[in-house]
Amino acid sequence: MRVALFVPCYVDLINPEVGVSMVRVLRKLGVDLIYPEGETCCGQPAFNSGFFDEARTVARHFMDVFEKENWDYIVCPSGSCATMVSHYYPFIFKEMPETHRSESLGHRVREFSDFLVNVLGVKDLGAHYEGSAVFHCGCHQRRELGVLEEPRELLRSVAGLELLDWENEELCCGFGGTFAVKMPDVSTAMADEKIQALLKSGADTLVSGDSSCLMHLSGRLKREGHGARVLHLAQILDSGDGKVG
Amino acid sequence: MADRTEFLEAIRHRTRTGKYKPTHAPDIAWTPKVEPPERERIEDPPARFLQELEALGGHGLRVESTREAREYVISLAKEWDAKLLVRWDVEELETLGVDELLGAAGIEVAVWRDLKDFREVAGRADVGLSTADWAIAETGSLVLASGPGRGRTVTLLPPVHVAVVPVDRVLRTVPEAIEKYVGDEAGRLPSNVCFHTGPSRSGDIEMSLAIGVHGPGDVYVVLVG
Amino acid sequence: MHTKRPSRERDADDRREEGIASKVEGFNERGRRAVADRDLHDAVALATEKFVTGRNAVLGALPDAPELRERAYHVKQETMANLDRYLEQMASAVEARGGNVFFAEDGEAVVRYIGDLARLRGTKVITKSKSMATEEIELNRRLEEEYAGLNLEIVETDLGEWIAQLAGDTPSHIIGPILHMNRHQVADILSGVAGEKLPPNVEQLTRFARGRLREKFLTADIGISGANFGVAETGTIVTVTNEGNGRLVTSVPPVHVVVMGIEKLIPKFSDLSVFVQLLARSATGQKLSVYTNFVTGPRGEGELDGAEEMHLILLDNGRSDLLGTPFEEALYCIRCGACLNVCPVYRQTGGHAYGSTYSGPIGAVITPLLKGDEEAKDLPHASSLCGACSEACPVGIPLHDLLLKLRNRQVDRGLASKAEQIAFKGFEKTMKSPALYNISTKAGRTAQKPLLRNGAVRPLPGPLSGWTGSRDLPPLAEKPFRQLWKEGI
Repeated sequence: MRVALFVPCYVDLINPEVGVSMVRVLRKLGVDLIYPEGETCCGQPAFNSGFFDEARTVARHFMDVFEKENWDYIVCPSGSCATMVSHYYPFIFKEMPETHRSESLGHRVREFSDFLVNVLGVKDLGAHYEGSAVFHCGCHQRRELGVLEEPRELLRSVAGLELLDWENEELCCGFGGTFAVKMPDVSTAMADEKIQALLKSGADTLVSGDSSCLMHLSGRLKREGHGARVLHLAQILDSGDGKVG
Repeated sequence: MADRTEFLEAIRHRTRTGKYKPTHAPDIAWTPKVEPPERERIEDPPARFLQELEALGGHGLRVESTREAREYVISLAKEWDAKLLVRWDVEELETLGVDELLGAAGIEVAVWRDLKDFREVAGRADVGLSTADWAIAETGSLVLASGPGRGRTVTLLPPVHVAVVPVDRVLRTVPEAIEKYVGDEAGRLPSNVCFHTGPSRSGDIEMSLAIGVHGPGDVYVVLVG
Repeated sequence: MHTKRPSRERDADDRREEGIASKVEGFNERGRRAVADRDLHDAVALATEKFVTGRNAVLGALPDAPELRERAYHVKQETMANLDRYLEQMASAVEARGGNVFFAEDGEAVVRYIGDLARLRGTKVITKSKSMATEEIELNRRLEEEYAGLNLEIVETDLGEWIAQLAGDTPSHIIGPILHMNRHQVADILSGVAGEKLPPNVEQLTRFARGRLREKFLTADIGISGANFGVAETGTIVTVTNEGNGRLVTSVPPVHVVVMGIEKLIPKFSDLSVFVQLLARSATGQKLSVYTNFVTGPRGEGELDGAEEMHLILLDNGRSDLLGTPFEEALYCIRCGACLNVCPVYRQTGGHAYGSTYSGPIGAVITPLLKGDEEAKDLPHASSLCGACSEACPVGIPLHDLLLKLRNRQVDRGLASKAEQIAFKGFEKTMKSPALYNISTKAGRTAQKPLLRNGAVRPLPGPLSGWTGSRDLPPLAEKPFRQLWKEGI
């Protein structure tokens, strides 16, 4: 099985450690990984703001990169980026020459936890992390991909980690891409709602499969002076021997 | 009339020339994401009806005979200290025979027939008495249809509504009730059919429940048979 | 006390030229005020949570809920595809029962029709039950202004709507119009009407309201209602209330006028089975609302009550423009309010922040569609696109996808800000060229150095100030992933 890495632009540029953890976890499971040349971005920022033409240009480049070889799977450590390719590429290329390409590519893109549990059939990675955590499921991952239980199953198998419930867990964190800067007060209020739930749960760690959500929530946590640790699922699964991610 | 034709033409044009055809039936999954239960078969519709009605704050009971029903209605009118009771002008209520006994207890009875000012009567009445076309077990609803002698406001204006319903009129589900008014079986659709489901309520002020705004706050259903 | 009637003029010019974060002022501005009002937040959170919990319970218990939703979608789809035919059928059916039918192009036509009718009948008092269509066209205000000589008293009879009307306010939620008010505010308003001080006690306030409104129910000359559904086969209109005001408005006055959007039609009486089961469950978590009322024409032969005269006004007001377009699905809405209840944005802002008759996700979709992009520039952006609305919609309207399409429509029509256009052109160029991507991000890593403080980008004016105003912004990493990969992981 040959697996290509789809590393979202903000993971590449801001949170590369997430990509590194994902690679280490997959390698430990014996997966043959390739990082295709020329990857940049899936185009979601333009798409979310209504710039469909610009998104299509970027999407075409993405498809070119990932069609170079016939990978079995394309794994991505982000629910929202995986959704962009698997669900919204067919949406923007509907009734256009690229329809077929977009659909066939879409089928092979898998979010990281989905890949671990449903393709590799693995739940316990032998990870060790001391702490109590709540899991925030990104909206696309929850609704378009339907991958809600898998991350929790993975976290429950981590030694030393206590997975807690928290209120209003289905509420969006308020990032929404450009929404975060277009409607900053509303976006921040949404983050505050989640943070309140986090504090109420007593967890010391916030985990998610989407770095974008984490960037938004941790940005607010830091500004408000809260000490909770904010980590990507891949980093937790890559933890052990007293070291995180 | 010219306006109407133009209006419809414009719409016809839109629907003929419109290019977009929605292709997916709802394609995003639906909450709640639970395994839907089996379609249960309501074994005892009258019992279920009474249960649902009680849960809504209504009062229900089942009696075996018309005599018992009559006694119950009289006792209710007395309990509510009614001065005026207004009732449907239908054979079943004639047979129920409450008029004389109520009169004897000093309670005026207005029958829904030849009323000069229906608003005055229904508006003044303390109790409204009716039967029902059907009852729905699944929701605790009464199905009330209008017609000669069957005033809508009898079941709506007085603060207390009492319905006496033969037990064999209790249907199981909402779809069954709607079916009764479809096609030949139903004959001509009455000018008004209403499903009354429990006492009138409002949660408009601070989401606190207020009962009896504006319809009856007290609903009694007597199933007979 | 609280938000005033939103005015179109105030929100007209809400787009800034500078900044990629062209802050869509209108919504965020109003949202900010709402967010600062913790009482409002608590009220909205309480109400919506209650509705959602109820909804999940009753829909979870309904065996064929997912199938019903699919059928509802298809019924609406079929109706829209043949709307002209169903409208004709509806009109014939109503007329066959002795009702009158009027096709109204827009709000003005409705105002004329009702005003002229009122003049003809010497009307003094009009009672109204809930009708969003009449709010959309501002019927009350226009009747009062354009037919001032008639001295019409128009009374909203839904408890919350009446209280809002008395306060000169507008409803903030489809199902719970005065979610944004507490009992003290209500007591103040009603005390003004009562001419004496009423205590902030729900039971007593309600009793007062009941008495006052009863007078109006009984003396009204005309009753105006909306309709949740119109059945083409039989000419039946359906109103749904918990209070009973819908039935009182349609049964007591001698004249009954229905104002119904053309998209509310469904083909057959048996189709009601699907919608009646979904509506109340989705809206409030009840199996059925207390009064589910089917009215077919004026009163029948030999009946003492019920309207003697019935008028059905079928309103277009921009709806037909959506037929056959990628936005058609917005017309499938049955006005249950489920999308408002699950929306995480609505939860923070309440309904008035949307500045329109229709709020929440459906409001954000339908307002620009009916009023035009210019009128409602900010609404398609009043969403984080989480999709909870589409998930909750009992008819399966893909609301969040429609919002995306609306954003795209704005871009295609040249309504996006200059700065955003430039930014995304730049984005396009950079992201399609790995070489350019590498060069520009490398430059970014260098350029950010003087802007960093304590490991974060310090708050700055300019494009990202929206973010940095309330949140820390992480810096670009020293080495991007691609470099780490090259160096070996």
